[in-house]
Amino acid sequence: LNRDDPRYGAEVRRRMAGLVGAGEFAPGAGVAQARAGDREQGAEVQLQVRVEAGRAVELRFLAFGCPHFIAAASWLTDRLRGATRAGFEGWDWREAAAALEVPPAKFGRLLVLQDAVRTLAGNWPGENGSTV
Amino acid sequence: VSAIYLDNAATTAVDPRVVEAMLECLGAEGDFANPAAVAHEPGRRAHRRIEQARAEVAAMVGADPAQIVWTSGATEADNLALLGAARFYHTKGRHLVTSRTEHPAVLEPCRQLEREGFEVTYLKPAADGIVEPWQVEAALRHDTILVSLMHVNNEIGVVQDVGAVGRLCRERGILFHVDAAQSAGKLPIHVERDCIDLLALTAHKLHGPKGVGALCVRREPRLGLVPLLRGGGQERGLRPGTLATHQVVGMGVACRIAAEVREEESARITSLRERLWQGLSGLPGVMLNGHPTQRAPGILSVTIDGVEGESLLYALPELAVASGSACATTSAEPSYVLRALGRSDRLAQSSLRLSLGRYTTGTDVELAVRSIRRAVERLRAVAPGSAG
Repeated sequence: LNRDDPRYGAEVRRRMAGLVGAGEFAPGAGVAQARAGDREQGAEVQLQVRVEAGRAVELRFLAFGCPHFIAAASWLTDRLRGATRAGFEGWDWREAAAALEVPPAKFGRLLVLQDAVRTLAGNWPGENGSTV
Repeated sequence: VSAIYLDNAATTAVDPRVVEAMLECLGAEGDFANPAAVAHEPGRRAHRRIEQARAEVAAMVGADPAQIVWTSGATEADNLALLGAARFYHTKGRHLVTSRTEHPAVLEPCRQLEREGFEVTYLKPAADGIVEPWQVEAALRHDTILVSLMHVNNEIGVVQDVGAVGRLCRERGILFHVDAAQSAGKLPIHVERDCIDLLALTAHKLHGPKGVGALCVRREPRLGLVPLLRGGGQERGLRPGTLATHQVVGMGVACRIAAEVREEESARITSLRERLWQGLSGLPGVMLNGHPTQRAPGILSVTIDGVEGESLLYALPELAVASGSACATTSAEPSYVLRALGRSDRLAQSSLRLSLGRYTTGTDVELAVRSIRRAVERLRAVAPGSAG
């Protein structure tokens, strides 16, 4: 019944239907975590990455926010798989805005995701010892 | 597959009996003529139907038919009441009293009057949404010319004691305007008993058509209004323009039916609303918005902590409900009504308004409870700090 809702593109609908990547890793070596945003402001995310041989092999998200925000968090768990720390450091929110057809009024929420991704880069396992 | 319709506070389906009456006024064989053209027989037939509808609307609110002025809806009726009365009585005083939780159809004319040099006191309701009569009394001044208070709040459904406010206004010679868009035909309202000078009505909230409403204007003693429109002098010059006979007739029939079934229908809808609340109140973090008992039969507003409002609506495609935000665009502003009650922006955005009507069934309510519980659990499961 959401298929004709003009506010949401196909990728948002697909992500919201499956919530692919939702959840948390069990604590352990090789896993980094980052949180960004504020529930009071309407967008909060937790991202986790499991790293092997310097590359992200799997990501998980938890998110509170609008459908675009939750879908973008889910999309990131696929987009950043295989990326190196440098890929995380350089990731830009505009990529999610384009992929998920996010309206300009919500661009600020994507910056929350970018904050989380860059924090993950800072917490990269094996570099400074940060693990969950 | 269609959604379960629980947005009757936004608008209602037109009753088939209303549709039938309206159709009688549209075709070449029907009463389509201009009701002002009383020089010929088709015009007189249309005129009689207009006057019958006028009597039906008046009867629902205890008024004389001559008090009814047709408008395009409650928004126009509210505008005519506030702007028209304030501009007519501006030499008597330039102060008005209303509440912060009124509909924009009242708040925006108030802002316009402020731009014209009037002063408006906006009363803050208590956390349960009620504006107490003593608050109104305390706000009155020697130059107050009008008090405006809605009977039932469109977002949270609380019922204001308009009778008590009307009496204290009448004692002081102050005009009293009531927006009854959400209450007419659902709760008893009587312009004489409740001392209401100006009563705004609409058809589409009580299973009538959109695009038609009425302003009930006190006649004894006659109340002055400056019209918003200029034209052919229809409706005693207060609202010129050719009347839409089919719309007016539809409103009349809708009001007659509403008056006939009001008690029985209100009891049934109240019972369904209580079932809905019982089903949702078991969810952790669910709060009722507004007074627990002083409320209209069909409106339930709840805040659901731990879920974001837009995502909750998205996760409920099988339900036609309203959120606690303006949500007219992709930028969803939190409801000013819920914020006036003390809810934070986040909690205001995590709110749902479920409004029931004539065609809501017990099965609808059960399915809605099940859908909302499932959606809330799913969204909470993916929220930070909530995963199991």
